[in-house]
Amino acid sequence: MPGATLSRWTMSYFAAACLFLVIGECMLAAGYGYPFETVAAFGTLALVHVLAIGWLGLLMLGALLQFVPVLVAVPLRGERLAGPTLLLVIAGLLLLLGGFAALAGATTLSPNLLPIGAVALVTGFALAAGMFATTLFAARPLPHPARFVAAGLLALMATVLIGACFAALLSGAIESDLLTALVVRGVPLHAALGLGGWLSFTAIGVSYRLLPMFMLAPDDVRPTTKIAWWAGIAALGLVAASVGLAVIGPSAMAGLLVLAMLLTLGLTVLYGVDAVRLYRQRRRRAVELNIRASYAAFVALIASVAMFALPAMRAAAGEGAAALVYLFFFGWLSGLGLAQLYKIVPFLTWLECYGPVLGRVPVPRVQDLVSERRASLWFCLYHAAVSAATFSLFMGSHPSFRIAALAQLAATIALIAEFLRARNLSAVAAASRVPIGVPRPHLFLPPFRPQE
Amino acid sequence: MNPASAHSPAPRELDVRPILKSGGEPFQAIMEAVSGLKPGQPLRLLAPFRPEPLFKVMAGRGFAHAAREIDGGDWEVLFTPEGAGSPVAFSADAEDPEVWPDPSVHLDLTELDPPEPMVRILSAAEGMQAGEVLFALLSREPLFLYPELAKRGHQWAGNFDETRTTFRIFIRVGKVKA
Repeated sequence: MPGATLSRWTMSYFAAACLFLVIGECMLAAGYGYPFETVAAFGTLALVHVLAIGWLGLLMLGALLQFVPVLVAVPLRGERLAGPTLLLVIAGLLLLLGGFAALAGATTLSPNLLPIGAVALVTGFALAAGMFATTLFAARPLPHPARFVAAGLLALMATVLIGACFAALLSGAIESDLLTALVVRGVPLHAALGLGGWLSFTAIGVSYRLLPMFMLAPDDVRPTTKIAWWAGIAALGLVAASVGLAVIGPSAMAGLLVLAMLLTLGLTVLYGVDAVRLYRQRRRRAVELNIRASYAAFVALIASVAMFALPAMRAAAGEGAAALVYLFFFGWLSGLGLAQLYKIVPFLTWLECYGPVLGRVPVPRVQDLVSERRASLWFCLYHAAVSAATFSLFMGSHPSFRIAALAQLAATIALIAEFLRARNLSAVAAASRVPIGVPRPHLFLPPFRPQE
Repeated sequence: MNPASAHSPAPRELDVRPILKSGGEPFQAIMEAVSGLKPGQPLRLLAPFRPEPLFKVMAGRGFAHAAREIDGGDWEVLFTPEGAGSPVAFSADAEDPEVWPDPSVHLDLTELDPPEPMVRILSAAEGMQAGEVLFALLSREPLFLYPELAKRGHQWAGNFDETRTTFRIFIRVGKVKA
């Protein structure tokens, strides 16, 4: 039967993701990793993977478990794999962190944890990609937003497999000149495929469906959307081709990557044009906080990509253009993620708790589960802190970076507290909080009773 | 469920000859009949002349026409929805939606924020008798509504209109209420 049911494991993914975000931001505020160490230091690598896999990776998988069926109006295939996938990704990440610690000098740990962790991560992400790919396959021809997700899944697998090659080489498990060439030149490609191909491309696709849904705007496919898609696919293809060149012919890489960057800039501008058009054509006059916060993330996306395209800005942004990567990671991807969590968590909680009694007894509205005034303060603080941290990285000022990172951590914890309040139905009057006969939702564990 | 029969429901018939005979204007009656068509259902129109201006109006709403002269110089026109690209979705237990009674409740929910349309539909269904049919217009396909309808024993059939901007759903209230 068509339709979308509540994904059992999504809240567990979100909870784990938020936990890793807090851990990562604590590491930043505590002076762990770049800019206190080099970009290539094992501390920085550990920090980056806590945030990229633990926070954004799990967040995106949890969101896709719920929204791939909504994108294509087909039930999720292989949903029973969602629980094992979560465990595999968390276990793989922890093993990976153990491996980095061993390389950094922790004598009680073995560098062999790196390839073991990589195997767990490859397996976990492959299971997830398999669930989503078979669901998408059943829904061909794919609607436009779903194509972005399909391309994002390919980029995910490319990212994870390249990462596994790194793990094999760094741990000393395998010695190979080809792999050494890949590690020497392939790190930026691994990052571009992960943050750009997997996370951004997928986020863009999902937002092409969610923005019109939340704003009551027409979700027809415009020429801008089509060109954005082709620009993105071409950029992804060029980055993927560069991975091969990194091994066999590195001299040709630079030209391809400049072209990929220009295509990415084009994609970003067209996506921005689409976002503005959707906002203007919306039938819903009052715009909710999750949408306003999403537009702040779009500004961060366009700013970071536009500055990245300028060689002078890239050079001024520190080692590996770190300031711009920071803005892209926290302003765009994390900003969008937190904004959407602010909508998705109350909505799924509302549906889980009140769906069974809708129409039979009066129920609160979804909006009654949150306090927009308080949360809008936290979003403002969050984006102000991200901007200040980015600026500090440009200036090379470590003390001000730590203060900004601390403010960002505080805003993040405050937002997570808002998600918990929504999940606990704290804003709903106690008398009407949980209808008779409906079990209270678990905070983040899946409902263990079988779904009807 | 019988998808074959459900994909080609019997045409609804509208005879505008009596309206014209009594000096009335049939346009509104025709448009009401068109709005009440089930997904994929054709309209058979009987008129005392070949209704040329109507062909363009109906084409604009996504209907092809086939006109033929019948006895007495009257005309029969079959308007068939060109519903390509908007297949009809059914609940697993929807038997022969084309024989469902005409809707007794009509809801236009196109301007409501989600999930308000879902709340309105389920509330309206609570107040209806088993076997009665509710018709609603929505701006999205109500994917989260389907499982709630199924749990309550309601059957449904729905699809997007030809412009893919409005989703039309017929819901037959179930006998068994959970």
